[in-house]
Amino acid sequence: MASIDLDDVSLDFHVRENKRMTLKEYILHGMFRSGGNRVKVVPALHDIQLHLRDGDRVGIIGHNGAGKSTMLKLIAGVFPPSKGRRTVQGRICSLFDMSLGFEWDACGWDNIHYRSYLQGETPKTLAPKLKEIAEFSELGEFLNMPVRFYSAGMLVRLAFSIATAAEPEILLVDEVLAVGDLAFQIKARERMRKMMENARILVVVSHELSSLNKICNQAVWMDHGTIHMVGPTDEVVKAYTKYMEKTPPKPGAALAA
Amino acid sequence: MNTLRTIWDFRYFWGSLVRMDLRMKYRRSFLGIGWSLMHPIAMTIVFCLIFSSWMEHAQWWQAAPYFLCGLSIWTYLVQSTTQGCHTFFANEYYIRQCPLPLAIYSLRTILGTSIHFCISMSVVIALVCILQESTEPLTVLPAVFPAILLLMILAWSMSVSAAFVNVYFQDMQHLLDVVFQLFFFLTPILYEKKLLYEKGVGFLADFSPVVLFFDLIRTPLLTGEVADFDLYAQACGLVAIGVTVALLLFSKLEKKIIFQL
Repeated sequence: MASIDLDDVSLDFHVRENKRMTLKEYILHGMFRSGGNRVKVVPALHDIQLHLRDGDRVGIIGHNGAGKSTMLKLIAGVFPPSKGRRTVQGRICSLFDMSLGFEWDACGWDNIHYRSYLQGETPKTLAPKLKEIAEFSELGEFLNMPVRFYSAGMLVRLAFSIATAAEPEILLVDEVLAVGDLAFQIKARERMRKMMENARILVVVSHELSSLNKICNQAVWMDHGTIHMVGPTDEVVKAYTKYMEKTPPKPGAALAA
Repeated sequence: MNTLRTIWDFRYFWGSLVRMDLRMKYRRSFLGIGWSLMHPIAMTIVFCLIFSSWMEHAQWWQAAPYFLCGLSIWTYLVQSTTQGCHTFFANEYYIRQCPLPLAIYSLRTILGTSIHFCISMSVVIALVCILQESTEPLTVLPAVFPAILLLMILAWSMSVSAAFVNVYFQDMQHLLDVVFQLFFFLTPILYEKKLLYEKGVGFLADFSPVVLFFDLIRTPLLTGEVADFDLYAQACGLVAIGVTVALLLFSKLEKKIIFQL
């Protein structure tokens, strides 16, 4: 059984006002000076409560800078929470930034290996899946070429094929599907639906409100690092659209507060 | 313990990355892995031609393995540390996607440099045997191998420390370049240790970890005399300090480093 539990989770980023500190600055700062390059605390997530179980397909929506991607990374365990508790059970697979995590000079086949090993596969478990990954990506001969020459859409195809072949219990996706062409989007959606039949958890961040209810059965509306509304996709999307039409928010509002 | 198991579970991941690094480095080059040997060998030839008259044993066939072995050990430590500086930045994409133990990425760095070191040490050993026209140097190998192992652990700990410090202070890598350049001349790589004592700066040899490993690896290989137990104890102490620092850095900063990348 897979589950995600976030209890009163908060996450703060400590950002320097100017640039990164150098060793020289650190020593001078420590001995002679004060002030200068101050650290600013940016609250990215605030008192998040989220409990997901098998079969939950959740879409996260919200304005830019609302904390959607940060929350996804916190669920993935990339960011440790500053406060509260994160408990996740199940094998996680994450699709964050498509263009990242490829070894550019290696060919498509090699990258299938690296990424699959990163997801915990072994040569034994990967061997039977190789053909299927290649077929699903429909990249054919391109797999023999270095990934450097791939287009954004081809990278998405490859990354998505690898990620979903791992049969993760929890799949985290961040605004990436829109890059593939229409045929692939339909295929990807179909695949996600199939994965969901095995009672797994999907969390997807998206600005594509119209397609969200085809994938998700729940939606989370995030606003300035907090959860504003949780519920069935249709209701949340409707409320969100209505709100946005009235008062389009500014990403910097949380910082100024 | 859990961390160790995770690192082992993901051995195919870092193993294949190390293999790829090696392959990429020498892709489409005629000499292949031989390029990594070109630098020390070319240096050795130059030094033999120019500087061997400085040495007491002025014969080139004695000086050449001396230079080459010294350069191999020195280059290994320098490269492990300077490449270590880039460990977390080079693997930032993976760190941002998957919460794997960071030690995995330090392994990627250190295994790459260690493979080069092993190759150049094999050349040194072969060279000594050929030039001395005997297999006698091979008899000290059982004593030299533990020293090489200790050196590798030390190199790993230096690489890890450099990786963490460089994330916080990125001018560290430039500072290290200067420091290493300086110590290249203050370390008896190309001259003999006693020269430092004669000039009254013997402490440079006494407190240098590199000299310690020269005594444990280079001297036995060239003279056939196994190093004192005392030196091994010193090396063990040094390695223990290095490993403690590296493990402390992991335990204190492992979770925080993501906010600095």
